[in-house]
Amino acid sequence: MDRKPPFRRKTAISYKTEEKTVMRGYDLSELAEAGYSFYDAMFVLFQNRIPTENEEKMLKYEMGVFLEHSMSPSAVGSIGVSAGRPNLPVCVAAAVSTFGGVHGPGAAHGYMLNKYLERGKKEGKTVAEMAKILVDEYMDAKRPVMGMGQPQHIDSDPRAEPIHLKQEELELEGVYLEFQRAIEKYFHAQRKRQGRSYVGVNVVGSGNTALMEIGFSPNAGWCIGSVVRGFSCAAHALFNMKKGRAWGASRNEPMVQMIDLSMIKYIGPEDRVVPKQEEQQEYARKQKEEGEYKQWVI
Amino acid sequence: MGYLDKEKTDELNKIKRDRKIGNLGSPKNPFDYYEREYGTVPRDTKRAPFQWVSEVAYKNVHRIVTRGYDTTELMEEGYGVIEVLFVDYQARIPTVEEGQMLNYVMILALEDGLSAPAAISRIVARSKTFLTQACGASIMAFGHAYGAYSAFGNRLDGYLDRVDKGEFSREAAAELLVKENLHDEALGVSSLMLKDPAAKRMVARAEKLGVAGKYIAFTKEIVKAAQDLSTEPVDLDMLGATGAVMMDLGFTPEATWAILAVTRSFAAGAHYIEEVEREESNRLGQQLTPKEDYDGPADRPVPPLADREKFAKSAICRTPEEWKARFEEMKKVRGSGFSIVEEIEDPSKKSGIKKVGKL
Repeated sequence: MDRKPPFRRKTAISYKTEEKTVMRGYDLSELAEAGYSFYDAMFVLFQNRIPTENEEKMLKYEMGVFLEHSMSPSAVGSIGVSAGRPNLPVCVAAAVSTFGGVHGPGAAHGYMLNKYLERGKKEGKTVAEMAKILVDEYMDAKRPVMGMGQPQHIDSDPRAEPIHLKQEELELEGVYLEFQRAIEKYFHAQRKRQGRSYVGVNVVGSGNTALMEIGFSPNAGWCIGSVVRGFSCAAHALFNMKKGRAWGASRNEPMVQMIDLSMIKYIGPEDRVVPKQEEQQEYARKQKEEGEYKQWVI
Repeated sequence: MGYLDKEKTDELNKIKRDRKIGNLGSPKNPFDYYEREYGTVPRDTKRAPFQWVSEVAYKNVHRIVTRGYDTTELMEEGYGVIEVLFVDYQARIPTVEEGQMLNYVMILALEDGLSAPAAISRIVARSKTFLTQACGASIMAFGHAYGAYSAFGNRLDGYLDRVDKGEFSREAAAELLVKENLHDEALGVSSLMLKDPAAKRMVARAEKLGVAGKYIAFTKEIVKAAQDLSTEPVDLDMLGATGAVMMDLGFTPEATWAILAVTRSFAAGAHYIEEVEREESNRLGQQLTPKEDYDGPADRPVPPLADREKFAKSAICRTPEEWKARFEEMKKVRGSGFSIVEEIEDPSKKSGIKKVGKL
């Protein structure tokens, strides 16, 4: 049996021999035998260290609370893919891949915090001053402040503040929590001054702050947050695969299905005649001249 | 929008009927193409409107609830990912020992060096993508050979069902299973872990924690039967140990598949990060494929388009004999797909490709 890896790489993460699998120097089997938790293993994987007990507890809370979020882009993506009945991993892959610049943008939030902290250090400004600058710059540029607002949990994400509180309870308050709290304080004040509605902190704002505080890089934090959601999205896909109808369009179901034809609302160009090949050149030239098509270009 | 009104529909259809569109007006069609409607199907008011139906979870403005438990409350009470996995997939809180066992399994499943999931993650990373794309891709590396937990588990269930029906004893079932699947990648017994004690230690841990059940017992019988039948040394491998333990913890083969693929994806994220840190991105057209690795047809001139008829070779087979001859010929064309046969089934209930292989 060929046991060569698909390609060679110098790596500081792990090696595997016929005798053992070693991650950051620790034999995985020994790590499990010694009674460490899966959360501990995350610190070893991404940070090359065994965490303190409270750091481990924080990650446990964070990952657990983020795992399930019912109908978010990730679960919907997973369910949508499952309609064609591919293998289950495909549904999960789709779910994890939904995390981007808007849905759970953990890395973006982390990079934002790091950028402004770095700038504050260079410019000799306090964390509170940098929070004000950050909020002002984002609001002036009409950019959403990362970590604030959630389209479904309009009064503030039910997980968000409890994460902050847990971080405080575990005495893991550092520069990130101070910065995030200052951002939130100034953000709320600004919106109030502008006569705008209250927008609470979201789970990225609080959760990613905690992840950064316990030492994870923006991308490592993003990985933990988005991949842990994959667990629940697999359950959603599996429920639909085992107990739902494939395709999601059956007319025999008592409820209109996800992609029933009546669910389509079309707002594009009106029905029109397809030009014959011999008409193509003139037709196309005219279409370009008139330029009406441009409103539909995406 | 709804359907286009009758006057406009008739007008448009008349124009098309007069102009004629390819074969669409052919009387061989079981319909009159030029009588068809335009526009979208109106909203269906006779049936209940569409909603996302779920047994797994719901949320409202103020809470997220899985299987009846508020997820924030679960965390405040000290539970974590391990317990929520039991809640999500089995609608129950695990015993302490079950939680400890799943924790153990997930640590072992986290990392596997530069095997397929890490390799795919790194390849995707080199295209300068989001990390999440690479993590997603790594999950797709789990199939019915690598990380074949659904195939393994469903096979166990299939034979154990027959034991339950009194068809044969568990020992005989294990012997038959091995006889029928000795060389299958999803057997759970192989030469992979002859020097690595991790698989056996996992089973020993399950027994020590008191969570071992019928799947571990059956897997042990399978190991014994495989060792009797195999001409080379074999033993329990990680697939067999992990799959059997997960099923004794109450997870279905599909749940096992998903949980362990996602677990590995965390490490795939670390591989993405390291690849970005240590290697350069790839550009389109950058990478070369050495000619010495090529064993296809020798270099040849492209025939002039005007000579197409002279060079072209039709694939149309008029008789089953011609079809068979061409099929056999095409097997020699690597990459054409004629050498592979698969039974692709609806994996809704039980996933696993029954027979996949090379002809």
